[in-house]
Amino acid sequence: MCHVRDKLCVPRFLPSSYREESTVACSTTALWAGETTWFCCGAAWGPCASTGGGACGNCRSAANHGAWPNASQACWDLTRPDLCGEGGIPRRGCGSVMNISHQCSGATVCITITDCGPRTRSFCGEQACCGGSCRVNRVLDLTPAAFSAIGSLSSGVLPVLITE
Amino acid sequence: MTVNRSARVARRGFLTSAAVGGATIVGASALGALDAEAAFAAPVPSLDPAVTTTTFAEGRVGAVKGAMLHVAGSYGETHHIQITNATSIWKVRAVTLDDIRVGDGLYARGVTMPDGTVAADAVWVNIVNLYTSIRGIHRRRLHLAHGNDELIGHTLPETAASYAGGALTADLSRLRIGQPAQILGAWRPADGGIDVVRVTVGH
Repeated sequence: MCHVRDKLCVPRFLPSSYREESTVACSTTALWAGETTWFCCGAAWGPCASTGGGACGNCRSAANHGAWPNASQACWDLTRPDLCGEGGIPRRGCGSVMNISHQCSGATVCITITDCGPRTRSFCGEQACCGGSCRVNRVLDLTPAAFSAIGSLSSGVLPVLITE
Repeated sequence: MTVNRSARVARRGFLTSAAVGGATIVGASALGALDAEAAFAAPVPSLDPAVTTTTFAEGRVGAVKGAMLHVAGSYGETHHIQITNATSIWKVRAVTLDDIRVGDGLYARGVTMPDGTVAADAVWVNIVNLYTSIRGIHRRRLHLAHGNDELIGHTLPETAASYAGGALTADLSRLRIGQPAQILGAWRPADGGIDVVRVTVGH
């Protein structure tokens, strides 16, 4: 049963064979760029206490995990980044591995996709800027562990480059 | 948001040595002012050749003994988080160790010391970043739906809003019932409410 509160609850939309974390290493092939936010998942405290393991079932706040808006067709139908002009975001399901770099500091974290999100369509035009350059539209959600590896949780959003 | 890399490394080295040596650092440090926002934002490359990775910890505070936080992780693990004078602590705003209470939740970033403790360079206390929808608006609070739960968001003098990608403003008058809203704030363990730092809404 899906208990995702903060994320987009899309239970059982991916084959179980896709739900294991990948051992594929992060690489440097450009995938996308945009804004990332953060979310909580798995066992947790406070309002996150019952968020559950996300769409892939294994999401944990303390692991370097992330949510991708095109983790499946069902996921895409909820996130709809195309409504914000981000129509070409490729499909990457549970277990996909990505390298996330802060646009300005270059700080990097390697993550595994374990959930569907963010809800891009609700925040079209949102920007995250640094060094006089901005990234528009939230296209990625990171767990607190992953987000804090490249920036401050209290910033809420970061401009990032995504490779795989 | 750009942070000077050499300053980051110097700060981290300072943190590590402070924790290892048990040093008490009073007043201005050798690094100059420890700007809280820069410190929180500082990414964490390896600082010491002997330290290849940084550590992340989360859980609820079970005890505060001196400058050590005893934290019960959400998966049954235990963390011992060492606070130094170089640790940046956030709880709605930049605060000090004295503001951390038993029962608070936290996320901590730091370096694992040889004795297993985590020397923290940043600790975020009770921080939440929730996707909600606005169900009610009152003078000093927002009624929010978060999944199947209802939350009370308490607005503060410093609460800011961003509308449709615009800059942050203290003007909350444009919030509307029914809007999806991202809420960055601090959970209140005593009553389950949220002290709202930032509300982000779309079009």
